[in-house]
Amino acid sequence: MAEVIIQSVTKKFGEVKAVNDFSATIADGEFVSILGPSGCGKTTMLRMVAGFERPTEGDIYIGDKLISSGQNGTFLPPEKRNIGMVFQSYAVWPHMTVFQNIAYPLKIQKVSKAEMTDRTNKALELVHLEGYGERFPHQLSGGQQQRVALARALVGEPRLLLLDEPLSNLDAKLRESMRFEIKDLQKKLKITVIYVTHDQAEAMAMSDRIIVMNQGIIQQNDKPQNIYENPTNKIVADFIGLVNFLPAEITAGSIEMPTIGFTLRQANSTTGKGLVAVRPEHITISKTGSGLSGTLLHKFYLGDSIDYRVKVKDEMIRVIDKSGSFEEYPDGETVYLEFNKLMAFPQSGK
Amino acid sequence: MGVKGALSRLDAKWLVILGSVGVLVIFVVVPMVYLVINSFIVDGVVDFDNYKTVYSKIVNWEALMNTFKLSLLVMILSLIISFPLAWLVGRTNMPGKGFFRTTFVATYMIPPYVGAIAWTQLLNPSVGFVNTMLVHMFNLSSSPFNIYSMGGLVWVLTLFYSPFAFITISRALEKMDPTLEEAARISGASPLRALCDVTLPLMFPSILAGGLLVFIAAGSCFGIPSIVGMPAQIEVLTTRIVTYVYMGDSKGIRDATALAVSLMLVANSILFFMTMMLGKKDYVTIGGKSTRPNIVDLGVWKWAAVAVAVTYGLVTVFLPIASIFVSSLIKTYSQPINLSNLTFENWLPVIQSSQFIVPIKNSFITATAAATISTVIAVFVSYLAIKTRAKGRFIPDVLSTLGGATPSVVIALALIITFSGNLGLNLYSTLAILVVGYMVKYLTMSVRTISASLSQVHASLEEAALNSGASWLRTCKDIMLPLIAPSIVAGWFLVFMPSFYELTMSIILYGAKTKTIGVLLYELQTYADPQSASVLSVLVLIIVLAGNLIIRKLTKGSVGI
Repeated sequence: MAEVIIQSVTKKFGEVKAVNDFSATIADGEFVSILGPSGCGKTTMLRMVAGFERPTEGDIYIGDKLISSGQNGTFLPPEKRNIGMVFQSYAVWPHMTVFQNIAYPLKIQKVSKAEMTDRTNKALELVHLEGYGERFPHQLSGGQQQRVALARALVGEPRLLLLDEPLSNLDAKLRESMRFEIKDLQKKLKITVIYVTHDQAEAMAMSDRIIVMNQGIIQQNDKPQNIYENPTNKIVADFIGLVNFLPAEITAGSIEMPTIGFTLRQANSTTGKGLVAVRPEHITISKTGSGLSGTLLHKFYLGDSIDYRVKVKDEMIRVIDKSGSFEEYPDGETVYLEFNKLMAFPQSGK
Repeated sequence: MGVKGALSRLDAKWLVILGSVGVLVIFVVVPMVYLVINSFIVDGVVDFDNYKTVYSKIVNWEALMNTFKLSLLVMILSLIISFPLAWLVGRTNMPGKGFFRTTFVATYMIPPYVGAIAWTQLLNPSVGFVNTMLVHMFNLSSSPFNIYSMGGLVWVLTLFYSPFAFITISRALEKMDPTLEEAARISGASPLRALCDVTLPLMFPSILAGGLLVFIAAGSCFGIPSIVGMPAQIEVLTTRIVTYVYMGDSKGIRDATALAVSLMLVANSILFFMTMMLGKKDYVTIGGKSTRPNIVDLGVWKWAAVAVAVTYGLVTVFLPIASIFVSSLIKTYSQPINLSNLTFENWLPVIQSSQFIVPIKNSFITATAAATISTVIAVFVSYLAIKTRAKGRFIPDVLSTLGGATPSVVIALALIITFSGNLGLNLYSTLAILVVGYMVKYLTMSVRTISASLSQVHASLEEAALNSGASWLRTCKDIMLPLIAPSIVAGWFLVFMPSFYELTMSIILYGAKTKTIGVLLYELQTYADPQSASVLSVLVLIIVLAGNLIIRKLTKGSVGI
């Protein structure tokens, strides 16, 4: 088992900084996701931990061992790192049977034949593929190939498991059930996991901690509920969940939102021009009330909720209501909105 | 439009099918079937006597064995050379990879017999440039190399056919999902172990395919064995076939036929086996997100790699071309090369003497005709195969591939026995029979090129034009043709160039008035006029180079000879 320490790692491709001054500690047995849009540098960071890329600057430690250093050129090749990894394309070898695929890391370790068979069968069991050992990958579905990749990554009992968008090639239903399976396995094996994804729901559901990245830079490194409820900046608020952004004037005692003609009394530490972010599900809609009023322009029935668009002065505000009925508010009616929770960001923030 | 319009369009489609199938049946299927049937008939009776007679002669049996031995050696040597080169170019940080990639396939565009001529100039035991240089440098008592030997034959064949293996292996290396190798590395395998356990087994079908292509090409080649092997009394099937045809009598033709059918059987069954093997879906690798392939850092070794690549390029490409150029300017062959022994006089006959002008004109006419007819047929054949749902739409495509896969000597012999009047059409000793031969052999080049570009044109583009009110013909003119125009021109050159310098078929099919460049070059070489042969070779090289530059420009580097 292992702790991973990443210290000020930068990776340049030519002049482009794919990863910029990335520092994080992943505790032993922790499940950490690196989340961000495509091209944000998350896969590059993972590949540096795996040993497929070398950092331009900074150090990476697994346990207390320095495995990669941009400064002094220390570099442990991937095969010496004792890491398990699952690739987005599964990378299951088409010329080997399922058993041969999974047993490969043990074969390299020169484990005895009996032990190899035993451990490989256990790994097959672990991923619910008992009896599939003699099949070839092309005889398996995508989900089953995914499990083979997972079993192969785990069979050598690595100290660290890396997952690079492992579920993105699966269909929606399977993706959801695999989330829980992977999480279950991690709990059972108490293994350290770094999980790279662009799917926020995936990261939310599985992680102990999420590192949100954008353009090579860490935006926030926090527990899932904090990322959602207290995003540190506009980028994180925008990337995680849905959000209404409103220009605001923030003073010590109030937040003024001129485009909707509304001022909220609230104590603030930072002041000046800024943005207010309100999640649609944090707004209550009602027929009567005080304060903020607007005109209901559109509504969409989404099954488990209703999605409203309300025109308030110069802004179109999105509201999601999970309790009301679709017939309750006719189009064009005046409705009243109440913000249950809002987040304020000074403009200068990242 | 209505029913009538739809009907006439259907009719046009069927006319095109029938027309192209018809042409291909007459000129591809009939001659080959007729050849095979003929090989089993003696004086109107079905008999295996032809084969018994032919293979009872020790010289033919030896030629068969030589063909196998040579092809096998050339195949193995080509793979041994090509895999490391393809790996260096595709998977390492060797500097100048793009340049070397072009260099390693450059011999592919030099006509093989021109290469053979060049190497006889370089390694001739008495006056070869390299031999005399080495004798001088190291004070040797005799020439170290003799091109007229089995070794010389293997050497030249390997240099000219290894690009087949290089191209096939390079493509496979590029196509392979690099995470398959990374998965092996992270599982604990060293780079070498990953290469042996994952890369090589996965590439095995492609490596085998590349090797077999080399095997067939080397076995079907006539130019190199005749120029390099014959002076050393090393005979192969192709040279035996041509010798028999040259006897001129019906017995000679019968013996040639039996040998040709043997050669065809081997070549076409290998290709059939290869298509089957590569068509199996088991080895298809799942492509994920396309990560850049693992680039192996060679460290200081990259300069050693460059040295190897440069040496290989110098020896295989620069040396023969330089030799041809220098020879075309030499006054007296046995004298040392210096300014007083250089002249442009050798070039004068090319623009003055009808001995040169007529064959050059013939080659231009036949190559242009073959290229133009092939392009027209190729457009129809490709449109049929790619854009229609008609039954049998792949038949013309398959027939054109069959033609391209058949050894040239076999095609030429089949055409001779079929179109010398026996079946009502006599093309013997005409330019037309040369055109037919070139077309049968190279049609597949333009079909491949045009099909590839046609399959890039999405059906919706055509449908959008029809939807805007354009007729089917108008749609072809305004939408299809402009989109595939570059590939049509590229396809034209891909037929024109090999036809222009073709030797093997021409030497069987030409008549007194229909001599071509290839035949003339061959004669000049055999009658020991290396200067004139070099002049013609330079001319051929210039035209091939120009054609290739045009093709590269048109297809942005994706196609070339």
